Amino acid sequence: MSKARRTLENRRRLTLFGLLLPPSAFLAIFFLGPLAIMIVYSWLTPGLYGGVEWKFFHLNYGRILGWADTKYERFDPVYFEIFLRSVKLAATTVLLSLILCYPVAFWVSRMPEKRKNLVIFLITLPFFISLIVRLFAWVLILRPTGFFNQALMGLGLIDEPLEIIFTGTAVVIGMVYVFVPFMFLPLYASIEKLDLSLIEASQDLGANRIQTFFRVILPMTLPGIVGGSIIVFIPSLGNFIGPSLLGGAKVVMIGNLIEQQFLSARNWPFGAALGMMVMAAVLVLLLYYIRIVTREERQADGPNVAEEVAA
Amino acid sequence: MQGILRIENASKSFQAPEGGVIRALDNVSLTVAHNEFLTLLGPSGCGKTTLLRAVSGFEDLDSGEIYIDGQPVSDQPAHKRPVNTVFQRYALFPHLTVERNVAYSLEVRGIAKAEIRERVGNMLELVGLAGMGARKIGQLSGGQQQRVALARSLVAQPKILLLDEPLSALDKNLRHKMQQELKILQHELGISFIFVTHDQEEALVMSDRIAVLNGGTIQQLDAPEELYRRPGNEFVARFIGESNLLDATVVSVEGASCDVVLTDGTVIRDCPVNGLKQGDPAKVLIRPENLVESVGQSSADERAGHEISGTVSESFFAGTDYHLVLACQGLPPVRASLRAGPGTSHHTIGEQTSLFVPHDAVHLIPERGAPA
Ligand SMILES: Nc1ncnc2c1ncn2[C@@H]1O[C@H](COP(=O)(O)OP(=O)(O)OP(=O)(O)O)[C@@H](O)[C@H]1O
Ligand SMILES: [Mg+2]
Repeated sequence: MSKARRTLENRRRLTLFGLLLPPSAFLAIFFLGPLAIMIVYSWLTPGLYGGVEWKFFHLNYGRILGWADTKYERFDPVYFEIFLRSVKLAATTVLLSLILCYPVAFWVSRMPEKRKNLVIFLITLPFFISLIVRLFAWVLILRPTGFFNQALMGLGLIDEPLEIIFTGTAVVIGMVYVFVPFMFLPLYASIEKLDLSLIEASQDLGANRIQTFFRVILPMTLPGIVGGSIIVFIPSLGNFIGPSLLGGAKVVMIGNLIEQQFLSARNWPFGAALGMMVMAAVLVLLLYYIRIVTREERQADGPNVAEEVAA
Repeated sequence: MQGILRIENASKSFQAPEGGVIRALDNVSLTVAHNEFLTLLGPSGCGKTTLLRAVSGFEDLDSGEIYIDGQPVSDQPAHKRPVNTVFQRYALFPHLTVERNVAYSLEVRGIAKAEIRERVGNMLELVGLAGMGARKIGQLSGGQQQRVALARSLVAQPKILLLDEPLSALDKNLRHKMQQELKILQHELGISFIFVTHDQEEALVMSDRIAVLNGGTIQQLDAPEELYRRPGNEFVARFIGESNLLDATVVSVEGASCDVVLTDGTVIRDCPVNGLKQGDPAKVLIRPENLVESVGQSSADERAGHEISGTVSESFFAGTDYHLVLACQGLPPVRASLRAGPGTSHHTIGEQTSLFVPHDAVHLIPERGAPA
């Protein structure tokens, strides 16, 4: 490498470093910092009146996972049950929004350019309204005297109002409603990218629609499916506004539990430990996603073997 | 002729996004014989892909019918038709290995694993990709991808293989190599190939017959040599090879030959009559490489009625040939490629010269709209 080249290289490296420093520092301080605090707190002793005592303490996790058995800190399966229920509700939310979005994304991807943009704008439109207001609207719709029950009774389909509000169903409905755009956008991106000639190639080779779907369309749009699912799953799992408005006191999710520990019970280490449970679940999912995506990329731009031309 | 494929009066129109109607196929009829290599040749947008897609089942015809092996197929969906396609951009499945790509059609038909492995192995060997089965598509060169696409279609043992400009993405050397290989493969397998290209040289080299398409209609369907020597109309004459096309009128007919007079008054004698009658307008086709220098020809008598004279307006040497352009009063410029042999010499621009027109070098094309 010539000297001039090397100087140029160095200068480029310096510019890159200069550009990347501020965001890196920002992330380190404001993202990793709080995370580190949470990790450390989850292993500390809860203070008597909130706060922490700087003594190592593993029973925060013991209370959740089963080995705490002292006078003050006892294992209670309810925490893990709430965690599992949250996973279940979040997974249901993911599944329903996936079923809702997948065909719609296909439909939109076939629209003419102008209409596409309009539809995508419409799908993101609810974001312009406060989350609380939107969820409260669902309270009004789903409650016994609300629109939904009134309509069904008016049509004579039911005699008594259905018990929907303050159930898991209501929570899932609310969360699906809120998170559908998060599912739609990554799904749409991968479906839009899907090469239609691959579908034709599949049919040309004798595959019917169902075979084509499972052998070509599904694997090719898998990154979008997994991406959308994770983006919906994460906020659903930790959600506490949805369950507190639509679930009432009956449907408590892990998000509500964490919120309570920090704000009312003032047991920060236990809240932190519960938070770590959520983190762990999310991390497992993310690792899985990264594996799928990198596999996909390796295929897209593998090393190109030199063209073999007959000598 | 009861061929493997018969297309009858196929028509297909598209609604143009800008408004108006595009007649992509306009009453196209053709028959492809068993084991034939048929090429669809034509300029961009002439309907080649549309015709292939109609055969493979991805485009419904507005009218007309397609018969494969005698069976009408218009209500058969694409996946049930016994044809396979090599797509222009290959359309290989990027999420599958080479092996699984080739195995695809066998897997969806539920053929036993052992048989699949054997047939895929044989096919990869046939196209020269033995040992590369485990690679991903992204790890192949363009030429290798082309072979995978070929293997993937052939392993299904189609009755007809459709190839939509399969070589257009390859560089020249590889392209020539693949042309030969394709031809050999077709011959060995005994499958009919319908090959699309807009490269006339490729078409001439590879095909048993060529269908020249323009504006959704078949202009001519003939063997390459026939097409080149006796194009049926002006479009075909211009589209295939270099050509001089001169306006002329038939002055006298004598059996199978006739005399014509060009717009500058030059008379050319003993042209093949090609169904023309006295007084008919015609286009005279003379290929540049069929003109020879007059100087070498024996006597003036022999040359009379077989000569075009003019002023050299362009002249350059291109290795095997001297290229000349002759400006003649009352005629469009006449191009000539004179073989660079011992007898030929370089012509200087501005020089007066005559070129000899051998009588079998002339082909008369009846003017369109001329009374039949
Ligand atoms: N889906 C479609 N909608 C509208 N017009 C179409 C459609 N498909 C093809 N056409 C038009 O039909 C005509 C024939 O198209 P076709 O693709 O058959 O051309 P081609 O001969 O294959 O050209 P090329 O050599 O460029 O591939 C073109 O004018 C094209 O614009
Ligand atoms: Mg085409």
